[in-house]
Amino acid sequence: MEIWNQLLQGFMTAGTPVNLLWAFVGCALGTAVGVLPGIGPATAVAMLLPITAKVDATASMIFFAGIYYGAMYGGSTTSILLNTPGETASMVTAMEGNKMAKDGRAGAALATSAIGSFVAGTIATVLVTLFAPVVADFAVKLGPPEYFMLMLLAFTTVSAVLGQSAVRGLTALFVGLAAGLVGMDQITGQARYTGGVPELLDGIEIVLVAVGLFAVAEALHAVLFEGRVKESENRMSRVSMTREDWRRSIPAWLRGTAIGAPFGCIPAGGTEIPTFLSYAAEKKLAKGANLAEFGTRGAIEGVAGPEAANNATVTAALIPLLTLGIPVSNTTAILLGAFQNYGIQPGPQLFTSAANLVWALIASLYIGNVMLLVLNLPLVGLWVKLLKVPKPQLYAGILIFATVGAYGMRQSAFDLFLLYGIGVLGLIMRRFNFPTAPVVVGMILGPLAEAQLRNAISIGEGSAMVFVQRPMSLALIVVVLAVLVVPRVLKRRDVVDLS
Amino acid sequence: MKQPAHPLSATVLQTLVGAGVIVLALGLAAGAAFIPSSAGYAGVGPNFLPWLVAVALLLCGGFMVREARTGGFRDMEESAGDGRPYWPGFVWMSAGLLANAALITTIGFILSCALCFVLAARGLRNAEGQSAPGLKPWLNDAVTGLLIAAPVYWMFTQFLAINLPGLTQSGWL
Repeated sequence: MEIWNQLLQGFMTAGTPVNLLWAFVGCALGTAVGVLPGIGPATAVAMLLPITAKVDATASMIFFAGIYYGAMYGGSTTSILLNTPGETASMVTAMEGNKMAKDGRAGAALATSAIGSFVAGTIATVLVTLFAPVVADFAVKLGPPEYFMLMLLAFTTVSAVLGQSAVRGLTALFVGLAAGLVGMDQITGQARYTGGVPELLDGIEIVLVAVGLFAVAEALHAVLFEGRVKESENRMSRVSMTREDWRRSIPAWLRGTAIGAPFGCIPAGGTEIPTFLSYAAEKKLAKGANLAEFGTRGAIEGVAGPEAANNATVTAALIPLLTLGIPVSNTTAILLGAFQNYGIQPGPQLFTSAANLVWALIASLYIGNVMLLVLNLPLVGLWVKLLKVPKPQLYAGILIFATVGAYGMRQSAFDLFLLYGIGVLGLIMRRFNFPTAPVVVGMILGPLAEAQLRNAISIGEGSAMVFVQRPMSLALIVVVLAVLVVPRVLKRRDVVDLS
Repeated sequence: MKQPAHPLSATVLQTLVGAGVIVLALGLAAGAAFIPSSAGYAGVGPNFLPWLVAVALLLCGGFMVREARTGGFRDMEESAGDGRPYWPGFVWMSAGLLANAALITTIGFILSCALCFVLAARGLRNAEGQSAPGLKPWLNDAVTGLLIAAPVYWMFTQFLAINLPGLTQSGWL
């Protein structure tokens, strides 16, 4: 009952005209950046982080959340209509969505992904509403050793398990941790790696790293390597679904949500695994003519399931972010940065210390999902026009916004040179297939993990045995080891089986 | 631009990347040596994580060099786009970004960003091989750049009260 009252309170805060406007602008902007190639939600939120200096916390978190899940809706439009490999999250949608579009059923694919996103987003928001407070209650009981282990788990999954190569993932993670080291040590106030530059005492701004790695690196990659890539666009058709489409979509949406939501809840990051799992499940369950459509004419279940899984994961990922303060993706890491700009540290206390903000944010998720359904069904034609923006103007324009983000944060031209340097680094990383999420997660979470580690060892009176003496922490060590070892053993067994 | 007859092989480039990581690790280690270890009760002081990161990066760099020398990085994904880089475009865009950084405080956000836009767009057009001769495309880009930069500037300075450098103190230019 208490949850109900608080949610109602949240709706009252989120429902004020000003906050509704922020939610709407966030959703619209999120859809736009989702549709536009070369810019994603992490970049968009990072570029707009300077507004945290002036806009109040609740409004800007509502705004950022709108961008965050709006981009998921927009991304599917691009992957269905454009014949280029998009971001990993929408790659699965592209497989069947593209085939459907070529078959003249672009409209049905767009409809099932928008409605599926709505269904999954709403169910996952209900889960956030019901479970986040429970998790927060539980998390209060965790001490520094357990927190450190949870963060270690997040580091492990984001760097060594997801992605192509563990070596490159770990390199990216440690580069991020190194970037997080620059500045003043949180506990002793000792300056580290500042080289005497006063600008560096406050540390490296997350905006710089995110905008450099994503926006500038993307533009540099486009000018260097993508000049001759020809894009082709599929023809739009009327956005509607037949009775048969509905019959096939609804179970797929629900299955996708059931697969996606748990993945968002655990600090294990990434939408790749749940979307692929959902796709595999749909393909396995399909029979007869429906099965024949997979990979040929395009099967609607293959769009509906993964899209729902994607949105459920993304929404449920707010649970670890809000209750534990642990981000598992680029965008949630930057959202955590936004909280930090307000001096708010997400974690179990958030539900008591900033209850208003949290519940307004959760309420805005319900509101945002409805807004996005409207923005993406009747108005989808509008967004499709964004695909016509020529590439030179698009990337050059992105650079202007990158300047706003990088300069607006600290008003320093030095940062713009640094931005270029980080952009070149991002270009090299992209070329040699290094993942970027570990850098951002490492940079944001690194200082927090370090503080927890040192507090934990203080509790253990200088002994690291504290991590194995406490049952929860010991259990988490086992999970971390399992996450590291099990996939490798399975892979090896597969290789042996094949040979 | 003429492509070099023997482009740097993947092995050499990947070795360089690995070596770069090793150099970074050594730099971090050198820096860590100067951080005092006033651990207090904690047992681990402010120099613990720097050393850990340095050692870990050293190992990663070593592994990468070994991978590069023994058949290349493992599990590489095909990158989007052409395999051959178009360097003139990169130079145009870099010039735009660096000019922006150098000039923003003198000529103001709007002009500086518009200049960056023009140079970057030129590089991208050349990369696509579709830049028309004459002044017209330059003018087009300049106008587009101004039309993007000016409203962005106004939105941030007037509505959100975020300081961006102007040519004048008026907040409009």
